[in-house]
Amino acid sequence: MQKELENLKKNFESQIKQITNFLALEDLEQKFFSRKSGAFTELMKGLKDLADDKRKEAGLLLNTLKAELENNLQHKKSELEMASMGDLARSESIDVTQPYLGETAKGHLNPNTIIQYQLEDLFASMGFMVWDGPELESDYYNFTALNIPPDHPARDMQDTFYVKGHSDWVMRTQTSSFQVRAMQKFGVPLKLIVPGRCFRNESTDPRHEHTFYQMEGLVVGEKITFADMKGVFQAVADHLYGVGTKIRLMPKLYPFVEPGVRGELSCFICQGKGCRVCKNSGWLEAMPGGMVHPNVLREGGIDPEKYQGFAFGFGLNRLSMLKYGIEDIRLFQSGDLRFLQQF
Amino acid sequence: MKISKKWLQEFVFLPDSLSAEELGKELTLRTVEVEGVEDQAKNLNHIIVAQIKSIEKHPNADKLRVCQVDAGVEIVQIVCGGSNLEVGMKVVLAKIGATVLWHGQGDPIIMEKATLRGVDSYGMICTSDEVGLLAMFPKKDDHEVVDLTHLKDKAGTPLAKALHLDDVSIEVDNKSLSNRPDLWGHIGMAREVATIYHKKFTVATPPEIKAGSEMKLSVTVEDATLCPRYMAVALSGIHVEASPGWMQKRLEACGIRPINNIVDITNYVMLEIGQPCHAFDASKIAEQKIIVRRAKEAEKFVTLDQKEHTLTSDMLMIADGEKSLALAGIMGGLHSGINENTTSIVFESATFEAGSIRKTSTRLGLRTDSSARFEKSLDPVNALLALRRLVELTLQICKGSAVASPVVDLYPKKPGAKIIATSFEFLEGKIGMSLDHKKVVDILERLGFTIEKGKKGALKITVPSWRATKDISIAEDIVEEVIRIIGYENVPSTLPVFSITPPRQNSVKVLERKIKELLALESCFTETYNYSFESPEWLQKLGVDSSLHLELENPIAKDRPLIRRSLIPNLIENVESNLHRFDEIKMFETGRVYKIEEAGERVEAKDDGLLPRQDTYLGLVYAKKSETTPFFVLSKVIADVFARLHVAVEIIPAENESFAATPFVHPGRFAFLKVAGTIVGRMSELHPSTAKNLGISQRLAFGEINLNILSDHQLEEVSYSPLSVYPDVVRDIAIVLEKNVMHANLVAALRSVDPLIVSVELFDVYEGERLGENKKSMAYHITYRDTQKTLTTAEVDDVHKKVLDTLQKNFAAEIRK
Repeated sequence: MQKELENLKKNFESQIKQITNFLALEDLEQKFFSRKSGAFTELMKGLKDLADDKRKEAGLLLNTLKAELENNLQHKKSELEMASMGDLARSESIDVTQPYLGETAKGHLNPNTIIQYQLEDLFASMGFMVWDGPELESDYYNFTALNIPPDHPARDMQDTFYVKGHSDWVMRTQTSSFQVRAMQKFGVPLKLIVPGRCFRNESTDPRHEHTFYQMEGLVVGEKITFADMKGVFQAVADHLYGVGTKIRLMPKLYPFVEPGVRGELSCFICQGKGCRVCKNSGWLEAMPGGMVHPNVLREGGIDPEKYQGFAFGFGLNRLSMLKYGIEDIRLFQSGDLRFLQQF
Repeated sequence: MKISKKWLQEFVFLPDSLSAEELGKELTLRTVEVEGVEDQAKNLNHIIVAQIKSIEKHPNADKLRVCQVDAGVEIVQIVCGGSNLEVGMKVVLAKIGATVLWHGQGDPIIMEKATLRGVDSYGMICTSDEVGLLAMFPKKDDHEVVDLTHLKDKAGTPLAKALHLDDVSIEVDNKSLSNRPDLWGHIGMAREVATIYHKKFTVATPPEIKAGSEMKLSVTVEDATLCPRYMAVALSGIHVEASPGWMQKRLEACGIRPINNIVDITNYVMLEIGQPCHAFDASKIAEQKIIVRRAKEAEKFVTLDQKEHTLTSDMLMIADGEKSLALAGIMGGLHSGINENTTSIVFESATFEAGSIRKTSTRLGLRTDSSARFEKSLDPVNALLALRRLVELTLQICKGSAVASPVVDLYPKKPGAKIIATSFEFLEGKIGMSLDHKKVVDILERLGFTIEKGKKGALKITVPSWRATKDISIAEDIVEEVIRIIGYENVPSTLPVFSITPPRQNSVKVLERKIKELLALESCFTETYNYSFESPEWLQKLGVDSSLHLELENPIAKDRPLIRRSLIPNLIENVESNLHRFDEIKMFETGRVYKIEEAGERVEAKDDGLLPRQDTYLGLVYAKKSETTPFFVLSKVIADVFARLHVAVEIIPAENESFAATPFVHPGRFAFLKVAGTIVGRMSELHPSTAKNLGISQRLAFGEINLNILSDHQLEEVSYSPLSVYPDVVRDIAIVLEKNVMHANLVAALRSVDPLIVSVELFDVYEGERLGENKKSMAYHITYRDTQKTLTTAEVDDVHKKVLDTLQKNFAAEIRK
């Protein structure tokens, strides 16, 4: 028996070595382990003719050998599989640069919305409320409450859309129109932004739109300073255009702030060296603001002796145009999918 | 406004090494916006004075001449088409290498040697606009070259040197000067520059006027509100001629064309002090009586630009007893001005009320250097300085002239000094930094403020008259004066300190953002923005009644005067304009609609007046080539969005009466969106005949949802169901039904048959001739599950039979086998 087993093993090992494909391996398996006529099966059958003690011993040997050979068989299988996989580079190669040919779809937000939400997230993270007020606004909240008396040049017909039959209604010219509403609604301390749609009666061209977006900011508290406003401007510049973006402020008159400033960003396109976008100045105008005028605080029911604050009004379209290099502001409202689907 | 650097240097020492660019930058950062600087000599390299030595006909061209020109070191040949060429004439020669504007137009070009019709030319004899000197040398005809024969300079002298063009102009944005009446003259600007650069600022005060007695001059001011101060004086012995070169140069540097000595003097004083002045021909003022009065209603008046205006009674006039002489503070009349025969004059230096000047000049469309200044609220003190300066200059320039009358000064209400009480603590608290107190005082004093220091840093600040008219009135204004000179760049950047309370949320804005992001990022829709304004023609095509629309009083786009009541009309326009480029259009917009009949926010806190309601809506449109029922695509998108919002929505057939309001909806494909019993929106397909009218060949679905109403509904909590350990049993059924049987009702009925039914899912719908008219076939997967045990076939059969019974009894369904 022992001898027979050894022969069988030798026989199996020498044959398995020659094998190079799955078919031959299957044949080999059949030859040795087939239930009907396999060499092993034959040996197993022979067991029943042995005496009890011998049979037990031989059975053990036989099983050990079977496990060993089956293990060899498995091993060979993996070997063949590996060999065939090695050829995948050729047999299953595809052109990885070719696009998917089935249907694909993507949705898009208006680029102005994208910038708006980026800023909303920044301000929300600093504890600002995000709010909005009427777009069709009363003359009072759009002008008078903001220290713009009735004969002020800012109220000229050529700048403001009025509503027929309602002489005290306007399409708001600025999101600042919500300042006094916010003070009345929420009181102090106050920290909010008002992103929204504004209107000016202007002829449209690549730089001008009669419908545009602003983001008003308003902070009022006991010790809110000009330096705080500068810090917030810096945070916005860093957030939108990268840390290290410089800002500079200069005087500018707005009736509802004092002092009033316009803020400029160092041009992130040329790093301040001068280019077409910044008209070779190295700076981009983007951030107007100032300390809230005491008359405005009074209108909002806030004591200017006790509280002070700052306000700003970023042009969202402008920030978005700078960010994406959009040269024509009219595209935002064009409804042209060729434009909208780029964002 | 243009500022001359040389002129500034009269009042403040500025080293020549300080470039105009640098000066412009500092002014921009601290005072006013400088738009640019212009060096007069910059563009005149290789341009010289030359003299024509000979002129010959061009052999091949009638209009050209061949000139030999003395250019100083050499004689050069120039081919020229000038209309006024003469031998011996001194001309402007652009040599090879010079930069000129060809015929005064287009981009600058660099001169090269040229061959014109076969004759060589080594440069160009220039017209004034070709070298940017049109203001100095106006042309009588297109081909007139500049005649410099009057100059003593030799041929070869650089043009800039010959014309003394050595100044630099600084262009200031007028808008940024709107609150600074004091900066509309060089003296004010020089004070500002002196403060910025810590330099000495010196202005000579013009001498008092020695009154004459030759002429009587009387002035009556009828409206002292519109004319708080009026000063005048007469001079005789006037000889009108050109003003001296130095004065002309100053005016030209500031962009003002010299006219004659008297007019130039008034302009010079205006540019120096910022006070507009006027000169009348004294002989044209009847009895030398000036009356400052309002215009007569519908009075006609011809200004010196020869334009006739119709006036109203709120406009202020300068008149005599017989006629109007000038539109006060704006422009003189055609017949009262100075001409070459004038021998005696009356100078006017007055202060007019700013608002009235602005209104009049806006209404008449007549903006002048004078009105631009008066509408900024000028300092009445300057009226006196200006009159003295006018007289000083006239006596100096106009030999033989003399003061001929006493000085008239009508100034009934002198304003008191404006005093502001504040403190260093206040200034520091506003700015957010500690200040060098000495420096603060120095800055304010240089700007003309008088400071009185009190206890504990208290400050009593007297505002100079030239800043007191409008500009400076409260302590916050002082903050600005200090901070802008110290420099905003020297203010630290800090962040406001607040408690960390989470901010209140605006539920509509939160919902709007969530929906926008779902639609764009999950449902693959593209967000568009449309104007809030609509075109009546478009609405008409849609059949929309616009009687409830609000309308703009002054629309810019004349074709879009209506204020929208729905997002849909403009969205349909978007589809129309994109259809020729895209097979599939999936767009949405969120925005306000304006409804006059519904109450919105208050007009004012203490006023009962209400604005129209302005809810935020979501609008959606969908169209795809060959898609015959886009309704279902859109209803799926809406259902998906609501599922993400965890709000249960029902899409139910719209009631018939709502068709009238929206005639462009498809009457058979029109639904309401209902949440917890409230209608929050609607959706439909476009009526095929409307589509045809609009030129839209595809089927188009649209929908809109009121986000304000939707945001009132509490979002449902998501709850988890334990995973079943027992298998589901799915049975499919196909049934034939009347077409009017609704899926939603059928599902509801089946779901209530037995709790073992966990889902009823439609997977096929078929309509066709074979089924018969008004019939449809629907196929469902019905899923049975018991969470406690494995279902047996018998149990499922039992329930399934009930399902079939319900279908047959309640829906008259025919079960297909």
